Amino acid sequence: MPALVRQTASSLAALGRFAWFAGQVARRVVTPPVFGGEALLATWTTFTRCVLPVVAVTLPYGMVVSLQGLEIFRMFGAERLLGSLVSVAVLRELSPVMASVLVAAQGGSACAAELGAMRIKEELDATEVMAVDPLRWHVVPRVLGLTLATPLLGIAGSVAGLVGGYVTAVLVKGETSGVFLGGMWALMGPVDAWAGVLKTTVFGAVIGLIASYHGFYATGGAAGVGRAVNDTVVRSVLVFIVFNYFLTSALFGAVQP
Amino acid sequence: MKAPRPAAGGLAAPVASLGDYGLFLYDFAVAVLRHGVPWREILAQAYAIGVRSLPILLVISSFVGTNLALQGHAAFRALGGERLVGMFVSLAGVRELAPIIAASMVAAKAGTEMASQIAVMRIREQIDALEVMAVNSLAWLVAPRLGGILLVLPALTLIAIFSMVGSGYLVAVHQLGISGHSFMSFAVEGVGVVDFWYGVVKAMVFGLVIVTVSCWYGFRATSGPEGVGRATNLAVVTSAIVCVAINYFLSELLYGGAG
Repeated sequence: MPALVRQTASSLAALGRFAWFAGQVARRVVTPPVFGGEALLATWTTFTRCVLPVVAVTLPYGMVVSLQGLEIFRMFGAERLLGSLVSVAVLRELSPVMASVLVAAQGGSACAAELGAMRIKEELDATEVMAVDPLRWHVVPRVLGLTLATPLLGIAGSVAGLVGGYVTAVLVKGETSGVFLGGMWALMGPVDAWAGVLKTTVFGAVIGLIASYHGFYATGGAAGVGRAVNDTVVRSVLVFIVFNYFLTSALFGAVQP
Repeated sequence: MKAPRPAAGGLAAPVASLGDYGLFLYDFAVAVLRHGVPWREILAQAYAIGVRSLPILLVISSFVGTNLALQGHAAFRALGGERLVGMFVSLAGVRELAPIIAASMVAAKAGTEMASQIAVMRIREQIDALEVMAVNSLAWLVAPRLGGILLVLPALTLIAIFSMVGSGYLVAVHQLGISGHSFMSFAVEGVGVVDFWYGVVKAMVFGLVIVTVSCWYGFRATSGPEGVGRATNLAVVTSAIVCVAINYFLSELLYGGAG
């Protein structure tokens, strides 16, 4: 039982340290100087680093949705609804979530690995010795980069998912192109596009903060960097899947009267 | 396992890595045939992979289930088919989401752990030390992990299915106000026993991909802390991409013919 108490206390302490860290980063985002050029560079690096994995995952996923949906709708003779299913599934859920999972796995883990390696090699201490704030110079641009790049990647993922759905339905399974494209916009409104952007921005900020926290406080040599990367991926996915439920509830899920 | 082969540059690099991965698989198969499998280690690995991935898998798959119910309800409400939510949750969960979510969580948790453990062993020359002691490193390090994941990933997939449908039920009944009976009858109608077996097949294929890809990146690691970080990073991204791509072809093979 004392082990349980100690474990609970230490996870609460970690949560507190994370909140303090997030507060420190947030304060440096709103007060000058913010290194905008570095942030843009980090956005671009994250985007180019992640765009291939994101597209490589959302494209087959759009194809799978199309494949499974077609089989169901053929049972009911409602193939014309396929386009709506693909666009709703891809734009609302699959592309924001899958893009963010891949950003966590690729961009977030790279951020944790870079910061962790800097910590282990005492480069962060060296920065501090030179009177440069390592949070401002190394962490804030990376967090901003992940926050800004994730929505862009979500958009890229949505396009790829819709293309994948179209390819399977029209080119592979021989559905009519016009019916599929017409159905695609039947249930969609601008709110769906904005909801995806909002979700991915929130997820990107979560990934950036968790990744830089784990990298910034990495300890224990090369193995410590590996552990920081591992923790980053697992925890950020965990946190934003939980966020996702509440965001979806707020945006689409009417509470039944 | 020999030291990493020299890297190729430019456009040849991806082809060379693919070839290197192929050689790794071949070496691994030969090593297992020649040196056997350390059976006792399999249970230890099954515990490490399965039990330690279970909590996060439960949380994630429950929240995926809640979102399936929410989105299914939002989509079908426009067509007056709220009753279909049960079918939507069970179909999407059993056939597609549970296998792939379980695989990606195991890749993120256990796969990255494998990659970083083996990479640390590589850069600390512990793998060379094993070879010096005439222990075949592939048979000793990779085979138990493969055996462990083949044991537990199908089980994790089935657990993910139940927590997805269960949480979908809770949201459908208590948040969206659908009657529990109609949810369950449509959910049962949507899937057959064969779908669970297909889920097990998918899980085994994904497990093979995760272990071989993660261990391969671990064995290839070079140069200090960055090398370990990069191996871990590439392991999770590559195994997720390969699993999703293979998933399409598996789904086409298993379900596509019926249409």
